[in-house]
Amino acid sequence: MRELLDRISQNVHWVVFLLLEVLSGFLLFKFNHYQGSVWFTQANTVAGKVLEWEAKGLQYMNLGKENAYLVRQNTLLQHNLNVLRHELAGLKGDTSVTQRYHIDLLKDVEMIPAQVISNSVRQRDNLITINVGSDDGVQPEMGVVSGTGVVGIVSKVTPHYSLVLSVLNSRSSISCRLRGTEYFGYMKWNGGNPLQVSMDDVPRHAKPRIGDIVETSGFSSLFPPGIFLGRVAQIHNSGDGLAYSLEIQMGTDIAHVQNVCVLKYNMKEELDSLRRQ
Amino acid sequence: MINTLLKRLLNMLLLLSFQVLILNHVQISGYGTPLVFACMILYMPMGSVRTGILLWGFCTGMLVDIFSNTPGVASGSMTFAALIQQPLLRLTVPRDAPENIEPSMQNMGTGNFVRYAMLLMLFHHLVYYGLESFSLYHMTDAVLLMLTSWVSSVLLALLLEAFRRKN
Repeated sequence: MRELLDRISQNVHWVVFLLLEVLSGFLLFKFNHYQGSVWFTQANTVAGKVLEWEAKGLQYMNLGKENAYLVRQNTLLQHNLNVLRHELAGLKGDTSVTQRYHIDLLKDVEMIPAQVISNSVRQRDNLITINVGSDDGVQPEMGVVSGTGVVGIVSKVTPHYSLVLSVLNSRSSISCRLRGTEYFGYMKWNGGNPLQVSMDDVPRHAKPRIGDIVETSGFSSLFPPGIFLGRVAQIHNSGDGLAYSLEIQMGTDIAHVQNVCVLKYNMKEELDSLRRQ
Repeated sequence: MINTLLKRLLNMLLLLSFQVLILNHVQISGYGTPLVFACMILYMPMGSVRTGILLWGFCTGMLVDIFSNTPGVASGSMTFAALIQQPLLRLTVPRDAPENIEPSMQNMGTGNFVRYAMLLMLFHHLVYYGLESFSLYHMTDAVLLMLTSWVSSVLLALLLEAFRRKN
């Protein structure tokens, strides 16, 4: 009996080892499905605060670069505004149904400004933490954009922070199309270069050209249609030879993104419920 | 007892902040990131309670996981490293060493310590990157990532060790 107890106490570390490994495995595999696990990520309050301090410190060092981005973004917006104004003047009194639909869609998007407090681009599944949460009106499944294009999709939310599934994540897939045509596909990241993503299953008769603009299609109810994603950099044949697979140069350098906007899409529930029917 | 506990907690805090605030932003030529938090169990003296080492390893890994969004990866690999720390130490320590030797360059000799650190780090990195990629999809990338990370971690650990000896 004594010997047996001794044996057990000598080998108790194996039991502890197995228990801890099972626990780690549980975290590893259940993370994506288990809602409560948001507490085991950067989105919990303590980790969030620490990373926010750090981000604040780092932001001062990046102000120059950030300024350049803002100027560029401003120019772009100004340009867009001019184009829209011009078009509106030409179309007044004669607005077709489609255009009204587009304008209506944009009207229903509320923008929640946020700052990136933690970010990564080198893993297979990259996540971004931002400093707004459910108290600011953010909910899972909302789109996140920066001045230069799409950044990702909100995946988990705490009162003050949210975890964003970056475009650079093997699980993210964003519905997109070629500007000017209505041919759509899904944008995916295959790892490696954080500035390069791919768009698969583009039909051959879409006739994509290098330099064509790729934008959101608006099918996914996460992003309104027409948000810039990037430009076509290379055109490959798809595996079965029936379609094209496009290599896209991203418009946003996720590695340097600091100021973003969460898109609160008021029509989302309506669209989702429609899709379920 | 309380002293050792406080020392280890302080050690953990320092390693954790070094890892999270500085090293997580470092990439060796676009590849690996040094994982210096494994030093937490590198310093466990011979003959420590093995359950204790496992718990220290797991907790450190868990905290790293929380701060770098890698659930289960660091905690799993740290638990494994904690399991093999004692056998590895026994393997690399000189024969005439005292029973409760504390692993350091001074106590073990530089060569032995380097060998010990390299082995422990290697196993830790193998499990870490194994869990992180979890598929052989980008096999060459994963291996390159692991190797650069391993080399940089070992160098950093030795640097820390030299620094620790001075104090």
